[in-house]
Amino acid sequence: MVMGATGSKLEKALGEQFPEGERYFGLENFGNTCYCNSVLQVLYFCIPFREQLLDYYENNKIVGDAEENLLTCLTDLFSQISSQKKKTGVISPRRFVQRVKKQNELFRSYMHQDAHEFLNFLLNELVDILERESNAANASPEASSSSSSSSSEKVANGPSNPTVNGLRKDPFVTWVHDSFQGILTNETRCLRCETVTARDETFFDLSLDIEQNSSITSCLKNFSSTETLNAEDKFFCDKCCSLQEAQKRMKIKKPPSILVIHLKRFKYIEHLGRNKKLSYRVVFPMELKLMNTVEDPDTEYSLFAVVVHIGTGPNHGHYVSLVKSHNHWLYFDDETVEMIDESTMHKYFGSSQEYSSNTEHGYILFYESLGKSS
Amino acid sequence: MSSSSAAVNSQSPSLKTYFKTPEGRYKLQYEKTHPAAVLHYSHGKAVSQLTIACLKERPTTQASATPSIPSSGGVRSAAARLLGAGNGSRALSFVGGNGVSRPVSGSSRIGGSAGASTGSGSSQPVANFDDKGTYLIFNSADTLFISDLNSQDKDPIKSIHFSNSNPVCHAFDSEVKGGHDLLIGLHTGDVSLRQQLQDPGRKLVAAHHYNKDGSINNRHRGRVAVAGSRCTCIAWVPEGDGTFVVGHADGNIYVYERNKDGTADCSFPAIKDQTQFAVAHARSPKSNPIARWHIYQGSINSLSFSSDGTCLATVGRDGYLRVFDFAKDQLKFGGRSYYGALLCCAWSSDGKYILTGGEDDLVQVWSTEDRKIVACGEGHNSWVSGVAFDSYWSTPNSEGTGENVVYRFGSVGQDTQLLLWDLAMDEIVVPLRCGPPGGSPTFNSGSPAAHWDSVCVVGSLQPSPSIRDVPKISPLVAHRAHVDPLSELIFTNESVVTISREGHIKIWMRPRHAESNESSSSEAVVPTASVKDRPTTSSIKNSSFSYK
Repeated sequence: MVMGATGSKLEKALGEQFPEGERYFGLENFGNTCYCNSVLQVLYFCIPFREQLLDYYENNKIVGDAEENLLTCLTDLFSQISSQKKKTGVISPRRFVQRVKKQNELFRSYMHQDAHEFLNFLLNELVDILERESNAANASPEASSSSSSSSSEKVANGPSNPTVNGLRKDPFVTWVHDSFQGILTNETRCLRCETVTARDETFFDLSLDIEQNSSITSCLKNFSSTETLNAEDKFFCDKCCSLQEAQKRMKIKKPPSILVIHLKRFKYIEHLGRNKKLSYRVVFPMELKLMNTVEDPDTEYSLFAVVVHIGTGPNHGHYVSLVKSHNHWLYFDDETVEMIDESTMHKYFGSSQEYSSNTEHGYILFYESLGKSS
Repeated sequence: MSSSSAAVNSQSPSLKTYFKTPEGRYKLQYEKTHPAAVLHYSHGKAVSQLTIACLKERPTTQASATPSIPSSGGVRSAAARLLGAGNGSRALSFVGGNGVSRPVSGSSRIGGSAGASTGSGSSQPVANFDDKGTYLIFNSADTLFISDLNSQDKDPIKSIHFSNSNPVCHAFDSEVKGGHDLLIGLHTGDVSLRQQLQDPGRKLVAAHHYNKDGSINNRHRGRVAVAGSRCTCIAWVPEGDGTFVVGHADGNIYVYERNKDGTADCSFPAIKDQTQFAVAHARSPKSNPIARWHIYQGSINSLSFSSDGTCLATVGRDGYLRVFDFAKDQLKFGGRSYYGALLCCAWSSDGKYILTGGEDDLVQVWSTEDRKIVACGEGHNSWVSGVAFDSYWSTPNSEGTGENVVYRFGSVGQDTQLLLWDLAMDEIVVPLRCGPPGGSPTFNSGSPAAHWDSVCVVGSLQPSPSIRDVPKISPLVAHRAHVDPLSELIFTNESVVTISREGHIKIWMRPRHAESNESSSSEAVVPTASVKDRPTTSSIKNSSFSYK
């Protein structure tokens, strides 16, 4: 399954700086599966996630061949990449892609798919599988093998995830949660009695509305801006026992270890009756802090991956991913892997004009927490 | 000039052609751009930067360090040559004798300055605009353009095409000895010094070419296969007797002397630790560059000298502002952005404050006396790409004392906005750390948190401050100035000039004042970058702006 087409060039480019033990492999495209390949590459280079998956693989190998599911297909693929003798090459994710298509009819066609939907589907699916396994393990007490113990192990890509009090027990928390889950709190303040009602919800990613010539910082600010509920849209205050005007805002209560930001570049345009791609220029910094948090706003994040959508419309186009590995940026385009310079990142910001020849736009951004600012 | 503003309106109907401030309206006076045939910047390789060059006779009263002042006639002919060479039909007509015989004193320029500040004052004779000889130099793609600041003509009067590389930064000094005045930094790392803007007797060619094919950058970079690190910023050292510095994307700054030949062999010791600041002087006395400042291992995005030339500020990819004692080769202090790279920096003309702007969308104000951040401006919706103090603006209180109580500054961002800010140091509110959740600000009566009082240690780099500890300021005005992201702004005596990344320039005339334009123009009218706007004499202090 290994084809060494592009390998030598990348190896030459990296020379002695080729990171010890790292593998850079392209992924074969089975007809419009770039949405899948781009997300897989990002997840592979999301080090805490990769390490958990490889641990899971090691632990479950012993148990013997359990029933195939999306998790086993993904761990097989990851271990296949990481155990390659060559440093570079191409690998076929055939079994994984077949499994995805089997599992979800959405992804079954050869149509262009949405990488963000796929990421969401994949993470939720993994959580479901881990949850089922844990339940089965609890039902049969002799096996308490893998998933729950893993969070205590070392995480190379940042500090180990602090366990938020109470979260561990209920609801069920997997290592997928440890990496990606954050908590939003929806604060509503009744304008009559001033009582603040807070409702928490968990998230794996933040979907942000975008504006022309703005920044991620600005989009996050808008995401948390105060909204007034009035007229038709009043708020039922439990204290006042009636509908009242209120102010509502979303804050981040628990920032995730891996912050995934999805830019809403595909927007339904009413008068067109269809989705349109917004090519807006939205600049994203290499480092980021969340100012819209409940407390501790100074946690610094560092950008480590970008899923890029190439094309003018939502229903066609191509996905590639940019990944930072050992301080080098790499460009993954299905089978091809190339080195790029960080200073070329601005190519993927978008365009300040409506019609532009540049159609490569940052679509999903992945930031990793660097812990408390020094 | 109603026709020109009509044209403005038709071009971008959603943009206003004025903005209001407490002292009055700023009006869009002129727009400048390059021919449409010029390629749009491809992937930002050539973000347009702006330099203002003032070609004018220098008053003899101006006791500057410059020894040999070219005769006014010479300057004039140089200007004529510069302008005429590009396009004969657009050659400006200098009114014979008008400038040469004019008495050289501050008051002699009232006419020109007042005429320009009227905004739409079409009654002003064109000759007077030309007389001032103030030119905008800007780059776009592979070309450097020169436009007349005071002409309503939208097109440049001259262009300089570079066949091998894109010009990326430039600097002009009207007072540099010998008349070689325009520096151009190229994408290849080459530096070109041109005399054409001032020296009358020479052809319009590069006088010197330094770091040809990026050679110095190559020599000590080991096996990293980069053909010369690109220039990112360039500046004359004020009072520096022809010394200039060039910042590069590889974290080095090279110091050159303009009189030395740039072709002599020059080598510097290898950089031992990429992360450490180190100054190396050239081994050979013939070498030009004469010194290499290794700042750190990332790009130097911008640099700026204090107006007396003693201190150098740099900002870069790592988000740090660093302030150096230039003569002593020493780091004085440094501090970090809230997050992300810093993109621009600028000094106040009294050297007390430094502005920075960057990828955290914030404008930061640093005190050089306390060696730390003193205020943080929130107002941009994207990265801040240009900052500048308005050294032509002053408050009523500043009369007599010579102390500025309120500083006016501006910023431009990739959100297409121009923001103006007032910094009143005695009104800065330091938030209390142990305040209620959400850090609601406490007013000046409350005692500022103890952690805030400390003055930072000399020579140290401070980490990012906690966002809730830094006093916040809000902009006085936020104006969507262009349709494209902006890259720079410059204050002149009569206007604010903004330029977009793609090389579109707008000139915003300052509000006109009912009371004497004379007093306002009694200050040095040289509209130059902030590094050069030191007051020439103590007696002329601007008193024209007064709140009513």
